[in-house]
Amino acid sequence: MTALVPLSAAASPDPTPTPASATAVSALLEVRNLTINYASPRGTLRAASDVSFAIRPGEVMGLVGESGSGKSTVAMAILDLLGEAGRIDGGEILFEGTDLRRLSAAHRRRLRGDRIAAVFQDPFTSLNPALTVGRQIAEPLVQHKGFTPRQAAPRVEELLAEVGIREPRRIAQSYPHQLSGGMQQRVLIATALGCDPKLLILDEPTTALDVTVEARIIELLAGLCESHHLSALFVSHNLGIVNRICNSVCVLYGSEVVETGRTRDVLARPVHPYTKGLVAALPRITTDRRHRLSSIPGTVSKLSGASESCVFAPRCPFAEETCRRLPQALRGDAAGNSVRCWKAEALAGTPWPEESTASRPQAAPPARTAPLVQVEALRKVFGERRSILPWLRRDGTVAVDDVSFTIQRGEVLGVVGESGSGKSTIGRSLLALIEPTAGTVLFDGADFVKQAKEGDRDLRRRAQLVFQNSAASLNPRKTVGAAMERPLVLAGRQGEAERREMIAALLTRVGLPAAYADRYPHELSGGERQRVNIARALATDPEFVVCDEAVSALDVSVQANILNLLADLRDELGLSYLFITHDIAVVSHIADRVLVVYGGTICEEGPIGRVLRPPYHPYTEALLSAVPRLSGAEDGPEPERILLEDSTAPPGGGGCAFRGRCPRKLGAICDERAPPVQTAADGHRIACHIPLAELAERASVFPELAALH
Amino acid sequence: MLLYTLTRLAYLAMVLVVMSILVFLVTQAMPGDVASMIAGQFASKEVIDAITVKLGLDQPLIVQYGRWAAGILQGDLGRSLVLEQPVAPILMEALSRSLVLAVVALAVVTVIGIGAGVLAAVRRGRMADQMVSGVSYLGIAVPDFFWAIVLVLIFGSYLKWLPTGGYAPLADGFVPWASHLVLPVVTLVLMLIARIARLTRSSMIDVLQTNYVKYARAKGLPEKVVIVRHALRNALLPTITVLAIDFGLILGGVVVIETVFSFPGMGRLLLFAIQRHDLPLIQATILIISTAYCLANLAADLLYAFVNPKIRHGMGNA
Repeated sequence: MTALVPLSAAASPDPTPTPASATAVSALLEVRNLTINYASPRGTLRAASDVSFAIRPGEVMGLVGESGSGKSTVAMAILDLLGEAGRIDGGEILFEGTDLRRLSAAHRRRLRGDRIAAVFQDPFTSLNPALTVGRQIAEPLVQHKGFTPRQAAPRVEELLAEVGIREPRRIAQSYPHQLSGGMQQRVLIATALGCDPKLLILDEPTTALDVTVEARIIELLAGLCESHHLSALFVSHNLGIVNRICNSVCVLYGSEVVETGRTRDVLARPVHPYTKGLVAALPRITTDRRHRLSSIPGTVSKLSGASESCVFAPRCPFAEETCRRLPQALRGDAAGNSVRCWKAEALAGTPWPEESTASRPQAAPPARTAPLVQVEALRKVFGERRSILPWLRRDGTVAVDDVSFTIQRGEVLGVVGESGSGKSTIGRSLLALIEPTAGTVLFDGADFVKQAKEGDRDLRRRAQLVFQNSAASLNPRKTVGAAMERPLVLAGRQGEAERREMIAALLTRVGLPAAYADRYPHELSGGERQRVNIARALATDPEFVVCDEAVSALDVSVQANILNLLADLRDELGLSYLFITHDIAVVSHIADRVLVVYGGTICEEGPIGRVLRPPYHPYTEALLSAVPRLSGAEDGPEPERILLEDSTAPPGGGGCAFRGRCPRKLGAICDERAPPVQTAADGHRIACHIPLAELAERASVFPELAALH
Repeated sequence: MLLYTLTRLAYLAMVLVVMSILVFLVTQAMPGDVASMIAGQFASKEVIDAITVKLGLDQPLIVQYGRWAAGILQGDLGRSLVLEQPVAPILMEALSRSLVLAVVALAVVTVIGIGAGVLAAVRRGRMADQMVSGVSYLGIAVPDFFWAIVLVLIFGSYLKWLPTGGYAPLADGFVPWASHLVLPVVTLVLMLIARIARLTRSSMIDVLQTNYVKYARAKGLPEKVVIVRHALRNALLPTITVLAIDFGLILGGVVVIETVFSFPGMGRLLLFAIQRHDLPLIQATILIISTAYCLANLAADLLYAFVNPKIRHGMGNA
C-alpha cells in the first residue's frame, strides 16, 4: 500500500505538464492558468491563482473547496459575472477552443444562457419575485433563439415537464413565492436547459435545499446531464454530493488547485494532505459519540501577493521545512490525476492523523430518575389572527403539534428534520423564547415558561442557546469581551477584574487565545466566531444548551473542530444539549438519542444506534437514504435510494403529518387517524400505522452499521 | 386582488370616519363662537341666541356632528361664514388648481427623480452618481422658499420671462396657464426630485446586488433588460409609497410655495379660513385634504400590490 497513485511526473525533472493540456484536444471547457484578484480596501486579494482544469463533453466535474477557496470565483469568471471588484489577471478560459477572454463582452453575453447556462445556489433569491416563472424561463428563449414570448409558451411547458413538474401550465403562471424550494430549483434548471446548452455551471445548486429534496434534484441533474450529453461544472462544498454526481473532481484550497482527478480516485484515496483532511473530517454515520472527529487545525489565511510556500503548509501535519520554502507545482500522473504536493508520492498511503484516540465515555447518561428537561404535549400555532373583517381571519399554522420528550442530565438529544418541521420552534419553546400555545416545559421540575415570564433570571442562566449564524448573533460594534461581559453581569459577577479573568478563562476553554477579548467579530473567522458564541453561552455556567444548527454554516474542517469542542464540553462540564440539525451524520456523531420530526410531530425517537437501523419510520428511512455519502470500499455497495415527492405543506386536519409525501401510505387510515406510537425496543418509538413487523422487514440503509456495536 | 381592494377600502372608510370626528372636535375646541361671529361685533344677546338656535348650536355635540356628517354625505359641505356662499364650489376650485400642480409636479418628479436615481445606482461611485448625489444634497438641504425667491428674482423680476405669481385658468389659453405653473412646479420638484432620486438610488443599489439580477445576467439578457425588467420593477416599491405621499402632500396644499407665488390652491384656502376663523370652511377643507391623502395612499397600496405579486396573492402582510 505504498503508492496507490503513481506519480510519473514526480520522477521527471520538469513538473509543468498538467492534465488540462493533456486533454486539450477534446475538452469542451478548458481553464488554463487562471489568475483572479479582488480589489479590497485592504489591498489585492488573490481569489484564484494558476487554476487549470478541463471538462470533456459529457463530463461532470466537481469544483470542491471550503469558503474562500475561490471555487465560486472561478465559476463566475467562466460566466463573465465576476462583478466590478474581481479582475482576471492572467490565463485563458477556452470554451470549444475559443478563449472567452478574447471575445467582446457582448459576444460573451450571447454565449451566456445559450451555450453556457447556470443554476445558482439559492433558488428563491435567484428568481425575480415580481415575474411569473413562465416568463422567467422564456427569457433566454426570447433573447437567444428569437422566440416571441407567445411562441415560447409551449416550450416552457415542455421544459417544466422535463424537470419533473406535474402541472407545467399552472406552474408557468405562478410566481416564485407560490412554489416550494424544490420546485423553484426545478424552475431554474428548466431555465438553464431552455436553449439546449453545452455546459452547465452549477453553483452549489442544492445547498439551500432539504436533504430529501436535494436527493431528487441531484437525481434529476444526473439524469439530464446523461440524456442531453451535457457537461457541467459542479461547484460544491459537499463531498458526498460530488461523489454522487461528478465523474471528476478538482479540489481547491487557498485559491489553488491542490488535487484533481477522477472522483473515485480522489475521494477514496486522496493524496494531497488537504484532501485527506477534508475527507477525514466528514462526520459519518458509523462514528458515534465515543469517537473524536479528525479535524484540520487552523484556518485559511487571506491571501495576497504570490505564494512563496505551499499554501496548506501552515495547517499540514506532514509539513516540513522544504514545504515552507518552496511554492508547489501541480504534477500529474499517467491516469490524469494530479496533485500539488512534492511529498505526494511518499504520502500516498499515509492516512490523515487521527485525533487523540483517548476514547470518550460510553453513551450512557446517568440514572433515569429526574430528567433535566421534560416537555409535555407542546403545541405552537403561529399567525393565528382574529379580525372583525371575516376575510382577514386566519387559522394560523401549526408549527409544533403535541410533542413530548425528556432530556436527562448529561444527555445530548438530537432533533432532526427539514425546514418547516418545527425543530427550531421546539428549541425556542424550551428556552421560553416563544410562548407555547399549549403544553408544559419543565426545567429541573420547574415550569420554565411561567418562571421566565415572572422574570426568573436563574432559569435563564441555566439554559442557553447557540445559533446557526455565528456572525449575526454577535453585535458587530462590540468586542468579543464586551459581548461576553453582559451574561456575566447578569449571572451576578460584579467585579470587573473577576469578569475579565473569567472571559479569559472561557475563551481558553473554547480554544481561543485570551487576547481575542479585544477583537471585533469581523476580525474573526466563522469557526472562531462560533467558538465565541459557545463561550458566551457558557458564561452563565449553564446546565443545558440548545444548539440550533450550530455547525451547519461552517466548513467541514471547522465543523469537525466545533463538534469536538461541543463533545468535550459535554464530557467535562456534564452539559445537556438539545442539538437541532438537518444533518443526520452530525447528529449520529454527537447525540445519544434522537427525535425525527416532520410537520411538527415526532415520527420516530430513540437511541441513535436504533434509529439508524430498521425498523424505520418511512420518513426516517427516506431521510437516511437521501444522505449523500462518500461510498467506497469501507461503506459497501450503495443501497437503493428512496426518493420522496417534493415537499408540500403538511396537510392539516387529523391523520399523519407525513401522509402527503409518504411512499408507503396505506390508505384512508393515514388520512383520517393520527398514527399510533409503537414501541420497537427500549426507548425506540415509531409513530406509524404500518405494523412494526412490516417496518422491520426493510433492509438497513446503512449495512455497514451491522458490523459495528 | 379584489379581496385586497375591499380590505383597503374598508380601512379607508374607517380612517375617514375617525378623521371627520377629529376635525369636528378640534374646530369646536377653537376659540370664538360661531353665532356671535355671524351676528357681528355689536349684536344683542337675543340675536346671537336666535342664530344659535337656528344653527342648532345649542344641541348636544353628537347631534351637531350627526347633522354635519349627514350633510357631507349628501354633498353639502356647509356655508362659508366669511365669504357667505357655499363651501363646496370654493373648495372644488382650489382643489382643481392644487390637482393641476400636483399632477404636473408628480409627473416631473417621477420621470427625472427615478431616472436620476437609476442612473446614479448603475454608475455607482462614478461621475454621474456623484453629480446626482451632490445636487440632491443641495435640493434637500436648502429650504424651498429660498429657491422660490431665487427663481422669482431671476426669471420673474430680472429676465421677465415668467409671471412671478398668480394663476391663469386653461380657458385663457395654454401659454398663460403653463407659464404660471412653471415657477411653482420647479420650486416644488427641486426638493422632491432630490428625495426620490436618493431613495431610488439606494433601493436600486440593493436590488442590483440580488441573486435574481445576477441570474438575469447569467441568462445573457442585455443590461438594459436586466435593469428595467428585473431591477427597476422591484426597486420601485419604496419609491411608489413616497410618491403617493408626496402627491397627497401637494394636493393638500403646499402653504409656503402657494404663498410665495400667490397660487390659489388648497394651502392658501386653508390659511385664509384659519386666519378668518371660518369654521365650516376649515372643517370642509381639512376633511377634503385628508380624503385626498387617503386616496393617494390607497392608490399607492393598489399600485404596490400590482407590482408585488406577494401582496396581490394575499400572502404578504396585507
